[in-house]
Amino acid sequence: MTDPRQLRRRRLRDRLATLLITAGGVGVVVSVLAIGVFLAWEVVPLFLGEGALAPAELWQPQPVEGYAEPQHRWRPEPLVAGDAVHYGMAPLAWGTLKAALWALLFAVPLALGAAIHSALYMPRRLRARLKPTLELMEALPGVVIGFVAGLVLAPWVERHLAGALALVVTLPLGAVAAGGLRALLPAFLRARLSPGWAGLWLAPWLLLVGSLTLWLAPALEAGLPGGDLRGWLEATWGLDVASRNALIVGLAMGFAVIPGIYALAEDALSGVPASLGEGALALGATRWQTLWRVVLPAAGPGIFSAVMIGAGRAVGETMIVLMASGNTALMSLSPLEGLRSLSATIAIELPEAAVGATHYRLLFLAALLLFAFTFLVNTLAEVVRTRLRRRYRRLEGSA
Amino acid sequence: MRIGKGVTRRGRVLLLGMILALAAARLPADEVVGTLDAVGSDTLAGLMLRWGERLAERHPGVRLQLQASGSASAPAALTAGTTLLGPMSRPMSAAEREAFVARHGYPPVELEIARDALAVIVHRHNPLETLSRRELDAIFSESRRCGAERPIERWSQLGVTLPGDRIVLHGRNVASGTHDLFRLRALCGGSYRVRLNEHPGSAAVVAAVAAEPSAIGFAGLNHLTAGVKALRRRDAGGEAAAPTPAAVRDGSYSLSRSLYLYVHLPPGGTLPAPERAFLELVFSPAGQAVVEAQGFVTLAPARLAEQRAWLAALPTAE
Repeated sequence: MTDPRQLRRRRLRDRLATLLITAGGVGVVVSVLAIGVFLAWEVVPLFLGEGALAPAELWQPQPVEGYAEPQHRWRPEPLVAGDAVHYGMAPLAWGTLKAALWALLFAVPLALGAAIHSALYMPRRLRARLKPTLELMEALPGVVIGFVAGLVLAPWVERHLAGALALVVTLPLGAVAAGGLRALLPAFLRARLSPGWAGLWLAPWLLLVGSLTLWLAPALEAGLPGGDLRGWLEATWGLDVASRNALIVGLAMGFAVIPGIYALAEDALSGVPASLGEGALALGATRWQTLWRVVLPAAGPGIFSAVMIGAGRAVGETMIVLMASGNTALMSLSPLEGLRSLSATIAIELPEAAVGATHYRLLFLAALLLFAFTFLVNTLAEVVRTRLRRRYRRLEGSA
Repeated sequence: MRIGKGVTRRGRVLLLGMILALAAARLPADEVVGTLDAVGSDTLAGLMLRWGERLAERHPGVRLQLQASGSASAPAALTAGTTLLGPMSRPMSAAEREAFVARHGYPPVELEIARDALAVIVHRHNPLETLSRRELDAIFSESRRCGAERPIERWSQLGVTLPGDRIVLHGRNVASGTHDLFRLRALCGGSYRVRLNEHPGSAAVVAAVAAEPSAIGFAGLNHLTAGVKALRRRDAGGEAAAPTPAAVRDGSYSLSRSLYLYVHLPPGGTLPAPERAFLELVFSPAGQAVVEAQGFVTLAPARLAEQRAWLAALPTAE
């Protein structure tokens, strides 16, 4: 019945579509590789020919005017000809990792907690509302987050340092204490405060704990020797407190990273076949045991890849670090000191760097480092995720 | 039929002629029309744009297209021939000038368009009023090339009592004209402390200092707000110079600089009408009023007259 001409036309259309889609896919892969090749091409002249840089100049401390010992310095532009230049990139790479580390320290517990809660405890109705809200958080541009962190949060923390540091301790403790106190409540009240709706009754409680902390903090600070937290930190711990510090950057960037980690971890957790959890519960395991021994191990690789993707984003993030940190190229682990990241350095300096000069090529080296890092992390996350998907399929097949 | 057709054609030609005549009558003979491009400094972006607006008011047919990606972009664009005007917040370096000469065989014309100054600023509640050159260097640099013996890291070393004793430093980023000028004039060419917070704009420096009582910073004079206080500079004789317009204009306030506009103009050549109209505006009283409104300092009258005379002596384009 089918008209052979029609059949032929349809087949042609099919082939054309396949060709276009394949070309698109290959195009994407090729352009990603081309970026890497382009970056490497700009970087290679640094290490070749006359005036080649020794890797030690980039990564090891060098002699600096005014200091007896070698120092790490990022001073890529001479003011007048013959000025000493320093190409120490170690503080920049360090700053990137430090910012990412503090962001993840803040974001991972919160995002994973939220994912576990919403995948396993939350009523479906509430969950359907929560997910889009968190996605909205992801839509906030980095510039806005960085601006708020740099010009609102940093001065506030500067004025209320004791309160802010106390909050970091009391809020998590308060949340744990809420769980403990709930267990002590009479049964009828406990039934009212169901874990699924914890978001509703926990928020006022944390607000109370927070305000109490801020109210008590000045009194606590006055109790310190000297009556000044900043002076005490400096005298006893040798800590210098900068207003634009890694804590602020971590908080702001953590805020930006949470939605991504949450979404992937939630998918991994709700993708665990229901039969597994139900089986554990039927065998008499408590909710906690089911979560800890059965569901989490099954979703482990997915959660790992969620954290990896978060790390990739945190390392590459530019505007938040640029605006919330003071861009001070320091080598310190202290969360109360500033940092300068590779990406922020590129954003600030590339427009003014003379094309083809050492400074310009070093900025490309920074870009290449970032590219390699995100590429590795994302690939790792993807490999782990594929393996997880295969495991689910097997589990579901045997059930 | 044939005659009728001919009439219509003739009619059409007539109509077209009339429209053209009308249009010509509406346009004065010397009306300037066109787009002019400028590539260069972001410090000068606001000033250039205001001048562009004024120019469009004078000559509705002229539009300014500004690309403000930094002073370093101006010589590159001028040499490549993509623009005739290059605003810069620093003089062209010898290398940049050589590259231009190598390509075109003559140097670009350097015009001074305004004066600018850096202010050393503290929080508005800071009681400090003046700083000497050595003190400033001892605060901001780790090299202390201006001759200070010890670094100054605390406000108490300056005789100031503040709740946070440690001095917090704010300034502009590497690869900005402001950063380089301060390094040259205030640090005697030395190097900054690592702890300097580097901000990508003068407005950000001012905002950071205004929010932090123990902070000190430097920023372009035209960005100051009520939240910060500009310090005066004390010289060896104990005289304090404030960044007043007069002191900035004659250079007696040493943290001041000229802002430039580089023009690609062959010797004996002519400027296109839009560019010429733009330069006429810049050196006119109205143009210099824009300079003042933007927070910069106007040129000294003698310098202004000199450059006006140069412009008037240029042969006009036919």
